Amino acid sequence: MKTLLDHLADWVWLVPVLPLLAVVVTGARVLLGRAVGDAAEPLTARLASLAAFGGLALMLAIDALALAHGAPGHRRLGHWFGNGNWEASFSFMLDPLSLILGTLTALIGWLVTRFSANYLHREAGFHRFFIALGFFLAGIQFVLLAGNGLLAFVGWEMCGISSFLLIGYAWHRPVATGNALFAFVTNRAGDAGFLLALGLAAAWLGGFEWTALSRAREISVVNDRLLVIGFVIAALAKSAQLPFTAWITRALEGPTPSSAIFYGAVMVHAGVYLLLRLEPLLVQVPDVMVGLVVAGALTAIYAWLCGLVQTDVKSALIFGVVFQVALMFVAIGLGWTTLALVHLCLHAGWRIWQFLLAPSWLSITRERPPLPPAWLRQNQLLYTIAVQRFWLDKLAQTLLVEPTQSFSRDARGLEEHFIDRAIGQPGHGKALHHDRPLVRVDGLPGRLLASLSDSLQHIEYRLLLRGKGGAAERLLHRAGAYLRTVEGLLEQPRYLMMAVMATFVVIL
Amino acid sequence: MLKALVFLPVVGAALLAVMPARRALPLWQAAMVFALAALAYALWLASRFDPAGAAVQMFESRAWNVRLGSYFALGVDGISLAMVLLAALLSLIAVLVSRRMEEGARLYFVLVLLLESAMFGVFTARDWSLFYVFWEATLLPLFFLIDRLGGPNRQRAALNFFLYTLGGSVFMLVALLFLYDAAPGHSFAMADMAAGGRGLPLNTQLLIFAGLFIGFGVKMPVFPLHGWLPLAHVEAPSPVSILLSGVLLKMGAYGLIRAADTLPAALLATQDWLAILAFVSLLYGGILAWRQQDLKAMVAYSSISHMGVVLLGIATLNVTGLTGAVVQMVAHGLTAGTLFLVVGLLYQRTHSRDLADYGSLLGRAPRFAFFVAFGLLAAIGLPGSAGFIAELHALVAGYARWGGWVILLGLAMLVGAAYSLRVIGRLCLKGEGMALADMTRTETFAAGLLAACIVTLGLWPAPLLELVAGSVGLVAGRFGA
Repeated sequence: MKTLLDHLADWVWLVPVLPLLAVVVTGARVLLGRAVGDAAEPLTARLASLAAFGGLALMLAIDALALAHGAPGHRRLGHWFGNGNWEASFSFMLDPLSLILGTLTALIGWLVTRFSANYLHREAGFHRFFIALGFFLAGIQFVLLAGNGLLAFVGWEMCGISSFLLIGYAWHRPVATGNALFAFVTNRAGDAGFLLALGLAAAWLGGFEWTALSRAREISVVNDRLLVIGFVIAALAKSAQLPFTAWITRALEGPTPSSAIFYGAVMVHAGVYLLLRLEPLLVQVPDVMVGLVVAGALTAIYAWLCGLVQTDVKSALIFGVVFQVALMFVAIGLGWTTLALVHLCLHAGWRIWQFLLAPSWLSITRERPPLPPAWLRQNQLLYTIAVQRFWLDKLAQTLLVEPTQSFSRDARGLEEHFIDRAIGQPGHGKALHHDRPLVRVDGLPGRLLASLSDSLQHIEYRLLLRGKGGAAERLLHRAGAYLRTVEGLLEQPRYLMMAVMATFVVIL
Repeated sequence: MLKALVFLPVVGAALLAVMPARRALPLWQAAMVFALAALAYALWLASRFDPAGAAVQMFESRAWNVRLGSYFALGVDGISLAMVLLAALLSLIAVLVSRRMEEGARLYFVLVLLLESAMFGVFTARDWSLFYVFWEATLLPLFFLIDRLGGPNRQRAALNFFLYTLGGSVFMLVALLFLYDAAPGHSFAMADMAAGGRGLPLNTQLLIFAGLFIGFGVKMPVFPLHGWLPLAHVEAPSPVSILLSGVLLKMGAYGLIRAADTLPAALLATQDWLAILAFVSLLYGGILAWRQQDLKAMVAYSSISHMGVVLLGIATLNVTGLTGAVVQMVAHGLTAGTLFLVVGLLYQRTHSRDLADYGSLLGRAPRFAFFVAFGLLAAIGLPGSAGFIAELHALVAGYARWGGWVILLGLAMLVGAAYSLRVIGRLCLKGEGMALADMTRTETFAAGLLAACIVTLGLWPAPLLELVAGSVGLVAGRFGA
């Protein structure tokens, strides 16, 4: 029993893997056509909530262990890939920060899973929802529990993908898919920062492990700044701070439980977690911390103003979320990390309740939403700005989404007009010779092959005895003619005598 | 014991020769009995063979011409046993699918049985003079098979084939006589000649090897000595094409391995040149096969390409490469057999070899569609087919010796995939259909037997690898690898 308890921390990988298993099982059932109708729903929901509960129980057990014997800290469970001077490993970080947030997330995840079972009953995408939700739970636990940046990045991307899937849950509505794309593209900007920072960490800190961050002191401030900026961009994008805020207001297209867990309580805090994790790096670069305070304060003002004029419950809530998260950024920028952590936990707990209640809000309050304060109503410019959400939405659309779309359009054009033609496409080939219509070529390699085969065929005709007028055949004919002449000459007596005499001369 | 194997088909041929020629079925049945008996006997011999035992087993020798030092010596090692089994299997197939033959059935069966006997002789001879006799003995039945029973261009093809291979054989004979003269033992026995040949200075070895290589290279065939192959393969009756590409080509490669055993210094000196020839053959055959719209010509040219893998494997002169060469000999025998079988049966029904005259076989003739696709995919060496094992060995060994140049092998396979997929797309995918009688039960059985062998060796190559390991190790040992 004791040894089991000692090794409990080594089983932490189950926390993200259990939801993944549920995803695999449900996915297989959908693929095999077994998940059809009402009867199939309970199994999917039970599997998902069982997996979530398993994770929660395991986290609680590890918490208990940590309370009794102290936190297990950094655990390396296995080699992933890599060689030489850097390595990616399966390692997990079980310090107080990760344990607290991991447990809280597991609890919220379990509650939301239970809630969704009833909320989504008889929805067309019931199983799809639980697949995406399980995928998200696995991803966010990877982010929170990972012992290195690479594994965390895997989780980070999993969150992004499941977020995309759930925003586009009602995929037959163009608005939903458009918003899903918008959120996804905006988040990619943050991912670029994350990847950049990971690469720099591998180069300068000698690895991706979070423990390597304590070596931050050893590198120069300039390098440190670059490294931190990468991570900060990732955090700002994920937590919807300025200038990335616009995506979160468009992300509420998904079903309410998913909005609750993604944008109300859990995923939006991933950026805050990342900055808390990077505290040793952050304190080295005060200017970046000032930048955090500025970004947080601006976001707070923005969210506050916009929040005042919102008339629907979900939008009002989301600006509340952005406001609170912005305050956390300010706290981190000022160095008050404990305050930020406490704020995060309280906010997550409170907000999940509010979001899950949002659909019933009208029937609970039965009141008109309060009007914006009088000073705002009177200042026409400010009011317009607030209602238009500072035109950030449009700005992001112009600066991020449209360039991406036109870039992809250009890439497609390049492909159609040049690359496809150069490489060749099946079904577009032209016949090499009219007597062999099925031997077709297209593209550069095809033409190359065709001309090569033409010249080889030329050689082949020369080489073979067959072929009309093959060189070898002609040569043989000519040689045969010469021989015949010689033979004819030898048959004449005078040459025969000469040959006999020549033979005698040679012998003698 | 081996004498019985070599002469069993001759007895069958003699018996068939005196049977009445009017009715084809009894002839077929009699030929089947002998082909089956030969295969069963070969399998029985294989079960008696001990891969870990002596190098040459079931050895029997009797003085033939004492004054010249030639012996009637037979024996098998792992490589020759694999070839004997292949020859027995493909002969059986060649007889099996000829059930519906009406004209010239007696001549055909007699000649096929004689050919089988000569092939057994080539693979089991342990004396170079006997080897040469059997080598030439394969020519006669083939000449008449092509000349009497072939396609419209058959006379030219037969003569062409005969002259080409005879020309090669002359070089081989001269080289053998030279070796006989140069080696101190003055004996034609393979073991004696090998012992003598290894002691010769490099220049002499090179000269002898050049002669042998021309002889074997024509048969294999190696670019630029392949001139006879496309015509002969195209014009020969289909079952003969099976034997021609399935077994006869392997005789060249088999002889080359024996030559490597005898003249190691010459092989080491020409190693890189052999590899160049192998790569050229690979690409040359592949590209010309790609160019053909004639199905049989396509398969014929692809044979040149695939035998390039064998030459590449031999050229590496190490255990992996030689193993790959031997496995490729078996694999190509089986896949080329399958392809010629199917193409021949299609020709029998449509009297056209032009791909443009064919349409989708789906629905109408699903068994044809399956075996066409299977044979072509197995020929590219798809994982799970015997060819994959062979190509992998050759690739690994070739990479160790020549590094990145083995990409040429991949390129040839890519070209192979191109023409294979063209045919598959035409015959085995949806499209304009064509009316065609599907394969009969006998034909399906024959093709299924080959396919089963290909898949079995592809998934479980251990028995074959174990069978040839000892002999291959012995040959590779001469090169210190």
